[in-house]
Order: sequence, then C-alpha cells, then structure tokens
Amino acid sequence: MIHPLAIALLVLTGGLALFGILTTVLGRPADRVHAFVVGVVEALLVAQALIAAAKVLGGIRPAETSTFVIYLLVSVTVLPLGLQFARAEPTRWGGTVIAVASIAMAIVVLRLLSLWGGAGG
Amino acid sequence: MAERAPNRAAAATATGPGRVLIAVYAVFALSATARAGVQLATQFHQAPVAYLLSAFSGVVYILATVGLARTGPAARRLAWTAVLIELVGVLVVGSLSVFDARAFPRATVWSGYGAGYGWVPLVLPLLGLFWLYRTGRTRTGEAR
Repeated sequence: MIHPLAIALLVLTGGLALFGILTTVLGRPADRVHAFVVGVVEALLVAQALIAAAKVLGGIRPAETSTFVIYLLVSVTVLPLGLQFARAEPTRWGGTVIAVASIAMAIVVLRLLSLWGGAGG
Repeated sequence: MAERAPNRAAAATATGPGRVLIAVYAVFALSATARAGVQLATQFHQAPVAYLLSAFSGVVYILATVGLARTGPAARRLAWTAVLIELVGVLVVGSLSVFDARAFPRATVWSGYGAGYGWVPLVLPLLGLFWLYRTGRTRTGEAR
C-alpha cells in the first residue's frame, strides 16, 4: 500500500459521497458528470489495488492476507456496479446510490490500511 | 419526491429512495456474506455459533436485497419476511451480546445492535419496513 494514495482515496471517496448527496438535494439524476467523477476515483482505486497486489506477490504479508486480498477485489468492483445501478435510476436518487457505494469504499480503504498496518512498504 | 406509477397494482420498491435502500442492503449482503465466508473457512472452530449467525445474516441481507429489487407480490412477500427476520435478528442478537457478552463475542454484524457497523443494521430494517409499508399502501388489491 502507498499511504499517501490511501489517504487521498479517503478524501476522494468522502468528496464523491458528498457530491452524490448534493445532486440528490438539487434534484439532478446521475449523469455523465457522475460517471466522470466515479471514473477518476475508480482509476485511483485500481492503481492502489495493483500496487498492493504487486507488493503482496512480492512477499509482503499483511495481517490476514486472504481477507486483505478480498478487500482489494471489493475495492475495485463496487463503484462501477454502483454507477450502473445509479444511472439506471431516472430520479434524483441516483446520486445517493453512488454516495452509498463511495462510503462503502472509504470503509474498505480504512480496513485495507489497518490490515496493512505494520507490513511495511 | 419519489415518482410513483399511477394506478398500478403495486408501487415498485426498487425506484426512488428505494434504490438507495437496495444499495445499502447490497453492501451489507456483500460484507456479511464475505465476512462469514472467511470466518467459516479459517476459524470455524473458534466460535461456530457466531460465525454461522454471520452466514445467516448474510443470507437474510441477500434475500432482502432481492425482494426489494424485484417487483411483484412474491418479491414483496420475500422482502417483508426477510426484513422482519432481520429486525428480530438484530434485536435478539444485539440483546444477547449485551447481556451475555461471553456467549457472543463481537463477531457478527448484529452484535451490540450493529454498533460495529455504525448502528446501520439497527436502522436499516426500520427503514425497510417503512418503505415496504409506504409503497404497499398505494396499491389497491392484495393484502399487506
């Protein structure tokens, strides 16, 4: 794991959640702007997962390695699914759906960080 | 607020705020099931009751997600049943974990009334019941 990247992802997923809730308050359905912002956050999540996976393959063992790997998989799959689910919703509530997925990803990043803990790197 | 289909037999549970509810249920279905899977696979002998309970809660969340996401009387019955079981589960397991902490180590989604998950497991079934009641009221026919 790269600590600064994980911290940036915590900020970004939090920001994405706020953005999603804001568009619900403003009455805007999920649109291309949502897709773009989700794409940016997702790209960084994928980058983090690749780096962490490379380090695990390279021999660094975080606590509960199998759980760690499952969290890595979850960290890259949920946002795209959430975006699809949100854009299929014609009402304003799509943004909040994205917010739910984003908050879940923030928690996943926190869990990844704590599992990585003293593993170094 | 939520757009409703007029004069349909039942208001869909899967649109409007209901879609947010389904998203939260899906997240819990995923996390409870994955957690139970890992626990059962790696440390089943340590606390079999708690881990089987984790698996059970995962299944309940999956059924609630499916019931809410689909339309029709059968799906609605499934959702009612799953959400009621969920409410009973979080209240019973929550109470047991508080009053008999040794029998229930902090190892299930419902321990401590879901305190480990920001009390979402306690609030979620209430929202689910409210949403099922509200979308069910707008229809004319069948009971519930």
